[in-house]
Amino acid sequence: MSVIEKARGQGDTVVRPKLNQHPSNVTLKLIMAATGTIFVLFVFVHMVGNLKLFLGAEDYNAYAAFLRTFLFPFLPYEGLLWVMRLALGVSLILHVWAGLTIHARGRKARGKFSRKGMKKKAWFAKYMVVEGVLLFVFIIVHLLDLTIGRGVASSEFEEATYEMVGNQMVVHAHAYENLVASFSRPWMAAFYTLLMVVVALHIGQGGWNAINDFGGTGPRLRKIWLIAFLLIALIIMVCNGALPMLVLFGVIS
Amino acid sequence: MKVTLDIWRQDGPDAEGYFETHVMEDVEPELSLLEMLDQLNDEIVEAGGEPIVFESDCREGVCGCCGFLVNGKPHGPLANTPACRQHLRSFPEVTHFTIEPFRSAAFPVIRDLAIDRAALDELVEAAGHVNVMTGTAPDADTVPQDHLTAEQAMDYAICIGCGACVAACPNGAAMLFAGAKLAHLAKMPQGKQERSRRARKMVSMLDENFGPCSLYGECAVSCPAGISLTAIATVNKERWRSVLRGRHSRET
Repeated sequence: MSVIEKARGQGDTVVRPKLNQHPSNVTLKLIMAATGTIFVLFVFVHMVGNLKLFLGAEDYNAYAAFLRTFLFPFLPYEGLLWVMRLALGVSLILHVWAGLTIHARGRKARGKFSRKGMKKKAWFAKYMVVEGVLLFVFIIVHLLDLTIGRGVASSEFEEATYEMVGNQMVVHAHAYENLVASFSRPWMAAFYTLLMVVVALHIGQGGWNAINDFGGTGPRLRKIWLIAFLLIALIIMVCNGALPMLVLFGVIS
Repeated sequence: MKVTLDIWRQDGPDAEGYFETHVMEDVEPELSLLEMLDQLNDEIVEAGGEPIVFESDCREGVCGCCGFLVNGKPHGPLANTPACRQHLRSFPEVTHFTIEPFRSAAFPVIRDLAIDRAALDELVEAAGHVNVMTGTAPDADTVPQDHLTAEQAMDYAICIGCGACVAACPNGAAMLFAGAKLAHLAKMPQGKQERSRRARKMVSMLDENFGPCSLYGECAVSCPAGISLTAIATVNKERWRSVLRGRHSRET
């Protein structure tokens, strides 16, 4: 081979990098689908609980107390909550790890030329990672604001306490007051409402991902699943998104 | 019509690539994208230059040889159509074409627009085939398979293996291709016997060569054979089925 030919790169051997991805992408996607579905179910139940706001302070705080005394004395104070926190925490770690791994693998497998000219519908998939980061921030803010009561929490935040009267547990919950105090701050109310749009986008696309990752191939199953998740996303966005605004504008106070 | 072409030129696998601009003053709208490149090559050769290297064979959409990115989209502006069947008359508003090879780390460029699609061959070699003695052709109706199942298998068997799905995927995944093979062979009496083994081997080959699926859905838009996105769910389904069903079907 002449020097000139070599310089032009002809006659070179084609080299293809092996990715050797472990654990399998199929496993990672199943983890994402399973943990994601857990989150969706949780967020939906959480939303139903939130709607108790309309019943007034007493009912809302009674619900908060119920969650803390659930199955007492078989479970300790806040037993159910801690079981949920543990399950959701583990799910969150798995979901974030799998998601970021998939994202990094995707960039590597595509190579240095990113895809252009995608249809608009592909944006839902494209922004899943960005939405995920936003939701992670939201979870931290939400926990600080209404669970832990530090940092971004309102100055009036008061933690729930309990006392034993005989063998009965009496909980003094301030969930309603804490929530109203927090959402009376316009920037916080706006943040919650905006993030509910992100939640809805994430659930909508995530649900479509989940049925594919679970291996649902039947056309009717796929259609029903997609519609169900889109409905759940919509309901969560409207109900959860409206609450901070209703508090902010004094409808709930 | 007058068209402007920015075409990727790359002298070899290790050479630096670059865009070369050509203006074609008089192109018949009846030409396909490949025929437009043919005419351009004639002009380049006449002027004493090196013609653009691109692959093509049947030019009727059944062989899977042709394909490149046109303005970022695999095969061209039309959905579900191979490059050879995309005629300029179908998109008169497009007069500026950026033509590049299929982009994916799994598809290294050989020269200009020609790429090495051996990664797809490896998937088929891994298990995307039937490897059992089928004997002589059976009498009709001795192997029962209903009409609908046969038709569904055909819907996936029509994959032409062009690799547009991989090039369409922002993640460089080949789930649509692998799913088409798995869905097709799992439905056929001959393919059923190795169903679990096939799913395991193909998924582990996918993990070696291709990226994960994030369900952008771009592959199904680009696929000239119109393979449905359900193929993606089929990969996951077949793989998990092999876990649940498979001890007796594991390879010995």
